[in-house]
Amino acid sequence: MTDVMDGPGATPEVVVPSVDVAPESQPVGWRHKHLLDVDGLSATDLDLVMRTADAMREVLARPITKVPALRGRNVTILFYEASTRTRVSFEVAAKNLSADVVNIAAATSSVTKGESLVDTVRTVEALGAQMLVMRHGVSGAPYLAAEVFGGSVLNGGDGWHAHPTQALLDLYTMRSRLPDGGSVAGRKVVILGDVLHSRVARSNIWTLTAAGADLWLCGPPTLLRGFEAWAGRGAAAGRRFTVTSDVGAALRDADVVMALRIQRERMAAGLLPSLREYAARYGLTRERLALAREDALVMHPGPMNEGVEIAADVAAGSQSVITDQVTNGVAIRMALLYLLAGVSAGSASGSAAPGSGAS
Amino acid sequence: MTDLDLSRAWLVDPASGREGPGELVVRDGVLEAVTWLDGGYADGIDASGVIVAPGFVDLHAHLREPGNEDAETVASGLAAAAHGGFTTVCAMPNTTPALDEPGVLARVQAAAAASGSPVELLAHGAVTVGRAGETLAALGELADAGVVGFSDDGAPVRSATILRNALAYAGGLGLPIVDHPEDHTQTEGAEANEGLVATVLGLRGWPGAAEAGSVARDLAILAEVVRDVPGAHLHLTHVSTAASLALIRAAKADGLPVTCDVTPHHLALTDEWIAGARRFAWEAGPDGDPWRDDAIVAPPFDASLRVNPPLRTPADALACLAALADGTIDAIATDHAPHTEVDKAVEFGMAANGISGIETAIGLVLAAVDAGQLTLARAVEALTTGPARLLGARTRRVGGFGLVEGAPADLVVIDRAASWTVRSDALASRGKNTPLLGRELGGLVLLTMAAGQVAFEEPNDPS
Repeated sequence: MTDVMDGPGATPEVVVPSVDVAPESQPVGWRHKHLLDVDGLSATDLDLVMRTADAMREVLARPITKVPALRGRNVTILFYEASTRTRVSFEVAAKNLSADVVNIAAATSSVTKGESLVDTVRTVEALGAQMLVMRHGVSGAPYLAAEVFGGSVLNGGDGWHAHPTQALLDLYTMRSRLPDGGSVAGRKVVILGDVLHSRVARSNIWTLTAAGADLWLCGPPTLLRGFEAWAGRGAAAGRRFTVTSDVGAALRDADVVMALRIQRERMAAGLLPSLREYAARYGLTRERLALAREDALVMHPGPMNEGVEIAADVAAGSQSVITDQVTNGVAIRMALLYLLAGVSAGSASGSAAPGSGAS
Repeated sequence: MTDLDLSRAWLVDPASGREGPGELVVRDGVLEAVTWLDGGYADGIDASGVIVAPGFVDLHAHLREPGNEDAETVASGLAAAAHGGFTTVCAMPNTTPALDEPGVLARVQAAAAASGSPVELLAHGAVTVGRAGETLAALGELADAGVVGFSDDGAPVRSATILRNALAYAGGLGLPIVDHPEDHTQTEGAEANEGLVATVLGLRGWPGAAEAGSVARDLAILAEVVRDVPGAHLHLTHVSTAASLALIRAAKADGLPVTCDVTPHHLALTDEWIAGARRFAWEAGPDGDPWRDDAIVAPPFDASLRVNPPLRTPADALACLAALADGTIDAIATDHAPHTEVDKAVEFGMAANGISGIETAIGLVLAAVDAGQLTLARAVEALTTGPARLLGARTRRVGGFGLVEGAPADLVVIDRAASWTVRSDALASRGKNTPLLGRELGGLVLLTMAAGQVAFEEPNDPS
């Protein structure tokens, strides 16, 4: 698996850690203290995450899916937004690594100001948190947490901004399921739906363009607002992608189609006439999927509105890898907790550039 | 009272249109002599050393008193103004209670008197009662009490009809309406200028059209009001987009009585800073892309950058500089907006809007001058005679806004060869909310004199 980036320059040899032992006991070349975004991850970083996740998949295939790597380490999961899938995935991942897990569901509102985020983070640290997994409804919130938290912060999704573990598990899933060795380079990957409000789409733009995919974003113009400008700039930086509202052009000969959740609030905001109209024009139905390659992968970050952005028979069909995404999510999160723990424990030296999202 | 002998300085006097080497003598607080040097006497004096200008005028500052003294008081605000070279400050009326009747103005004036600061405090009154946008405030009574204009700066609701009536009524009083152009139907929940940075960072976009649309509406109303009320005057504050400036430029060409100001941060800083870039607009260029240019050097989402109007694109900032140079923009105003740490040490989208800027204003403006974006003469004009034209006879600076012999000394002395580092403890303002913390700014204010008294003196004067 060395296809993460098809640019010039060979990827340095990645040292895959032995995940049965504590991360600080071995040098693995991971230098990021936090995982806040994916924009700062190099091709080598991505490759290391993928290979470490391979090792975690191997753990997950054992009769007892538990290794002692993070024994005695406190992983606190602080979620300011409702989530089942991601929160449980992190919890299972941390427990598989034998970490002590603390779960906190916090309510937030810009109107009812209770305890500030900074105070909450200081409190959970005083209560023993050594790694902090965080989800928050406001873009950028994990950066504020990382400023005050002594250990590693792992972004479990912030506002519309980033969902790093989702993008990494998506990349991992594509690499494990695409034909011919799983190379993503040159493959046509379509993200279909509410791109504007999607942290999943934003993080996938970074990882998939880094991996050399032929990335297309598709949806109604109201839900693509601003992305044409990004695509134009991205082209100048050699990270090209295509933005279109023409669902036929987007899906034609696609290798991967990822549908995004459409929320009811979008109609109240005047962005869509109705869910019925969305389903009719942009829903991923069997007829539309037939435009893609016959072995095209169908993905969805969940939770799904079946019958709106994706038809039930497509979601459950033979091309769907949606349950793979869920399983791979655990492996990816185990890999990231493991890699970050190595830095938190002080075995890795150096730090990333200050502007790097994964710093 | 104070004496000052400055030989061999670079004098900038927009009132007389002169700039050049000279000498200046203050005796007992009175500017006794201003001597312009030429020939051999002027050798070696240029604009890169010590410069002297009339004290600056800020049309737009939030002093927070009464009601939010944790963020700023009149006394701390005037001290900050003096540190920044300002000797006349117009306080905004969004206090608690709002400055919508003469009693509140009296409180603010009493606080200024009690502070002992020689800096002149003027104030804008509210346009509507409680800044609620519904009924006109006591405009006539406020005018009698001495306000210099009326503004509902930043208030969320205001109908076009109220604006029309206010322009007409205030016009009859000979005072401007100072409007903050923002169509709130486009900016609800907005976090950052709509554009590449907001899209990439997932911040809710704040469209430029929200400002330009409001400017267009205001100008259309003004064009009709002025037919009935020749004294009507619209001042658009903190204009920030190229599109707004194009509309104002055209309106001025049509002879409409409109003026406008720009903040130092909209001249020099851009939305790129939210992504973690720290270069000035002219360093980015009109097509700047911080990711492509590898210009990101700090973590993103610094809440000190959250401000209304939002920091715009490099192209917008460059348009503001060009509009300042060509006279479309009349004044530089700071929109000094101090906040407590509690209101700023929060998630970007939850942070209070505003930058504490009155002490860093001259540093940013001189950076633009150093970069060749603006002449020194034009910069000083936009900080003195430009804004002074709005104040008319309502200022005590009877000698005008120039280096006038025989008038009480009202001036600022700046060493352009020296610099200072912006640190919390170096700011006189209670508001430490500036994205420039830690940055070195060129142009050290050595001395500020107001009404013949020393308002600020640099304790570590290197000269």
